[in-house]
Amino acid sequence: MSVMKLNVIDLEKSEYTGGKSSLCPGCGHDQISKIIIQAAWENGISPEGIAKMSGIGCSSKTPAYFLGKSHGFNTVHGRMPSVTTGASMANKSLSFIAVSGDGDTASIGIGQFIHAIRRNLDMVYIIENNGVYGLTKGQYSATVEKGSKKKKGTMNEQPPIDLCAMAINLGCSFVARSFSGSKKQLTALIRAAMGHRGMAVIDVISPCVTFANNDESYKSYNYVKENDEVLHMLDYIPHFTPIEEVDIPEGEYDDIQMFDGSTLRLETVGDDHDPSDAVSALSAIHHAEKENKHVTGLLYYDDSMQTADEELGLTETPLSALSEAELRPSEAELASINAAFRGA
Amino acid sequence: MEKQETMERICNDFTINIATANGTGSQSANLIVLNSMFQMGVPVSGKNLFPSNISGLPTWFIIRASDRGYQAPGDKAHIQVLMNKDTWQKDLAGLESGTVVIYNEDVKLPVDRDDCPSFGMPMTKMARGINPKLARLMCNMYYVGALAHLLDIDDAAISNALERQFKGKEKAIELNLRAIGEGRTYAEENWEGGIPYCVEARDKNPDAFLVEGNEAVALGSIFGGINMLSWYPITPSSSLAESIIEWLPKLREGDDGGATCAVIQAEDELAAAGMVIGAGWAGGRGMTCTSGPGISLMSEFIGLAYFAEVPGVIWDVNRVGPSTGLPTRTQQGDLSMLYEASHGDTQHIVLIPGTVDECFEYGWRAFDYAERFQTIVFGFSDLDLGMNRWSTAGFQYPDSPMDRGKVLRTQDELDAVANYGRYRDVDGDGIPYRTLPGSGLDPVLYRGTGHDEDGVYSEDPDVYYATVSRLRRKIDGARDLLPAPVVREEEEQQIGVIYYGSVENSITEIDDMLESTGLSVSTCRVRALPYHSEVEGFIERHDKVIVLEINRDGQLYGILRKELPVDLLPRLHSVAYTDGIPPRARVYADKILEVLEVTA
Repeated sequence: MSVMKLNVIDLEKSEYTGGKSSLCPGCGHDQISKIIIQAAWENGISPEGIAKMSGIGCSSKTPAYFLGKSHGFNTVHGRMPSVTTGASMANKSLSFIAVSGDGDTASIGIGQFIHAIRRNLDMVYIIENNGVYGLTKGQYSATVEKGSKKKKGTMNEQPPIDLCAMAINLGCSFVARSFSGSKKQLTALIRAAMGHRGMAVIDVISPCVTFANNDESYKSYNYVKENDEVLHMLDYIPHFTPIEEVDIPEGEYDDIQMFDGSTLRLETVGDDHDPSDAVSALSAIHHAEKENKHVTGLLYYDDSMQTADEELGLTETPLSALSEAELRPSEAELASINAAFRGA
Repeated sequence: MEKQETMERICNDFTINIATANGTGSQSANLIVLNSMFQMGVPVSGKNLFPSNISGLPTWFIIRASDRGYQAPGDKAHIQVLMNKDTWQKDLAGLESGTVVIYNEDVKLPVDRDDCPSFGMPMTKMARGINPKLARLMCNMYYVGALAHLLDIDDAAISNALERQFKGKEKAIELNLRAIGEGRTYAEENWEGGIPYCVEARDKNPDAFLVEGNEAVALGSIFGGINMLSWYPITPSSSLAESIIEWLPKLREGDDGGATCAVIQAEDELAAAGMVIGAGWAGGRGMTCTSGPGISLMSEFIGLAYFAEVPGVIWDVNRVGPSTGLPTRTQQGDLSMLYEASHGDTQHIVLIPGTVDECFEYGWRAFDYAERFQTIVFGFSDLDLGMNRWSTAGFQYPDSPMDRGKVLRTQDELDAVANYGRYRDVDGDGIPYRTLPGSGLDPVLYRGTGHDEDGVYSEDPDVYYATVSRLRRKIDGARDLLPAPVVREEEEQQIGVIYYGSVENSITEIDDMLESTGLSVSTCRVRALPYHSEVEGFIERHDKVIVLEINRDGQLYGILRKELPVDLLPRLHSVAYTDGIPPRARVYADKILEVLEVTA
C-alpha cells in the first residue's frame, strides 16, 4: 500500500477535490479545475478558509468540481464580483477564488469586473476564456479575435476586448495570461495569485472543444500551442520552502515577493519583461495581438496598492464575527442622540 | 402696527405656502419658520415640494399649523409667500380670495389681487445692504421676519431655530438673525393692518423633536448592527445612506478603532444588491437603500436571495414612477413590485413604517427578520416620510437582543441538528439551518439553480416542487411574527379604512372629514406584508372596507384580493389616487365618499 502524499498542513490532495464535472469531455475548463486543486493543495491552504465564487456559464459551473470542502456561491450572470465584494466585507479573512468566463466577464459583467479592480478587492479572479458562449451553444463572445472563426458560422469581424490590457489600464495589482494546456505556467501563476493580497486577474485561454476547437479559431488547442509567446518561465517557491534550497537557474531571472512571503521566480526566455512596467506589458499585448499571437506569463504586478478593506479601515475581527455588544450601540448612546436632537 | 381689534383670530390652524426657486437657500429659511413654530409647541408639519434640479426650478414649501394635529398639506394656502418670478402669476391666480400674500418687491412683478391682503418688502435690496454677495440666499430670511411679525412668532423660538439650522456657524447665525430682525422691523413699520392668522404657544412635549424618516431608518440600521452598506445615489434615498455614513464614526468603532460597518458606493444598483447578498451569505448584516428604479435593477438578485435563502435588507424610499417619473415627488407605487420582486414565484417580507419612530424600529428589526427567515426583507418608505421632518418623542432602544437566526457556528451545534441539510426543514417551520463560509461546517455551493435538501444540484420535479412549496410556507409563517396592524375601531363597525405608510400623516383629517358626514369609521394601518391575520379580522368585522393608498391601481387592494377568503371580497373597495403631492385629506376623503355612494 502506498503512503498518501500530504501537503504542508497534512492534508491529502483528495481533500481539495470536488464533484464530477458535467462539462464536455476534453474541455479546457476541467484542466483549470485540476490546476486549481493542485495549486491550493501545494500551497497548503486550508480548504475551509477558501470561498469559491462564480457567475453563470460553463466556467462558472466549475466550482462544483473543485474544493468540495469549501463554501461557494454560483451567483448570477456577470455579477459575481459584487457578491464577492459583499462577502469580502463581511469576512475579510476568507480567501476568494473566483471563476468566470469571457461572456460572464467581458460582456454582461464588464462593469462589475472593472469596479472590483478599481477597489483592488482581495481575490483571485480566473477568466476561463474560450471566445464563445458554450452553454447557449456557441455564440461568439466579446473576447474573440478579429479574423478568428468558430466551428460553425461566419468569421468574427469585431475587435476583441483584451481583459488583461483593460485590467492593466485600470491599475489592477496582478495581471497574468495563461493557457489551460500550460500546466506548469498556470499552476505557478495561480499559486502566486493565491499568495497575493489584492486583485489577481488571470486570463486563461481555455479552448471550447465543442464549438471553437477548429484550427481557424484563435483559441483552439492547436492554434494556441503554435502561437503562444511566453514572457518567461515561471517557478513558484512557497513561503514554507527555504529559498536557499531551490536550485538557482542558469540564465537570468527575477524574483517577485508575494504578500504571504512566497516567491514567484521569472526566468528570462527572450526579451526581458519587467512586470512592474505597465507600458511594457501593454506593449507586449499589443504586439502579440497584431501578429494574432497570445502573450502569456505575469504581465503586470504592483504590490503597493491598498485593498478595499484596508481603504475602508475595517476592524481586525471579520465583521461577521463581531458580537452584539460590538454591533449595537448602547442605550446610553441612544439617549444622548435623542438629547442632541432635542437640543439639550 | 396694531392688529385690528375686531378681526377674528385664527390661531394654529392655517397653511403657509412658500414659493421659491431651487438652490436659493430657501430651505434654510423654511426650516427656521417650521422649527420656530415647533419650538413654541405649535403642532406643525412641513412638506418640501422640490423639483428634479439643483438650481433654478420652482420649489414650494408647505407649512401646516394645526391644533388638531392635521399633518396633510391643507387644501389651500392661507398665507402665500411669493419669491419666484417663474411661478408668480400662476401662484397668485390660484389663490382663494382673502389669502394673505407676502412678496418680494424686488422681483418687480405685479400683485394684481385686490381681494387678497398683500404685503410687499424689498427683500433683495435689504439683503444687499447686509452682504451683496449673499443677497440671493439671505433675502429669504426677510420673509421669515415678515411671518414672525404677522403670526406673532417668538423671537426666542426664531433664535433657537436659527441656531439649530446653522449649528455652530457663528457668522451665518449673526447675518441671518440680522436679516430676520430687519424683516420683522420693516413689517412692523411699513405694513398697514394685521392678518387673522397667528400662532399661539402650546405646552410642548419637552421630549419632542423633528426628524426625517431617512435619518430615523439610518440610525435604526446602525442600532441593528449593520455590517455593510452598499448604495448607489438616487433621490429620495441618498440621504438615508449619507445619514448612515455620517453617524457611523460616532457610533460604531471597533475595539481597535477600525470600522465595524463597510460602506461601499456601488457602480450601480445591481452591484449594490449583489454586495448585500454577498455580505448576508458570509454571515454579515448587509443593506442597501434605493428607490423604485433601483429595485427594478436589483430584481434578479432578489430572486436569487429568495431561492438560495440568503438574508439581506433593502430599503425602498418610493418616488413617483414608472421610469424616472416624477423623481422628487411621493408615491406608494412600488408595493406590489416589492412583494413579488423577481422572476418565477417569489414573495418577500415588506416592513411598512408610518412614523419616524417606526422608521427607526424597522431599521433594526429588518435585520432580525432577514436573518430569521433567511431572505430579503424590504423596508418600504416614501419621499414624504423619508425626506420631510416628522415629530417623535425620541427613539426607543431595541427591546430584544439581535436575532441572528438559525446559524450553526460550531461542530457541536451542527451535530445537534438531526439530519442536517442546508435546505432541509428540520423544525417544520420551513426555515432550514445554515453554516457560514469559513466555518468548514458542511460546505455547499450556493446557487440559483435547483437544489435538493442537501444543497446538491437537482432538476428533479418532486425536489423542485418541494423546495418552492417550503419557501412559500416559510414566508407565510412570518405573517403573525411581523408587526401587527394598528387598529382604531369604532363600536358601530360600519366603515373600515385600511391604509399604510405615510397615509398615516393624513388619516386623522380624512377620518374627521368622513365622520363629519355622519359615518362611523374605523381604521387599520397595515405595517407589514405578508399581512397579519388581524387584518383579515378587521375586514370580517366591518360591513364595508376601503383600501386607501397613494398609487393608481390599488396595489394593496390587489394583494388582499388575491389572498383573502373569497367571501370577504365583496366588502373590499379600492380608493387609490396619486399625483405626486402628499395626500390632501379633502381629495382622498371625497374619493372615499364617492366610492361609498356608488356602492351604497
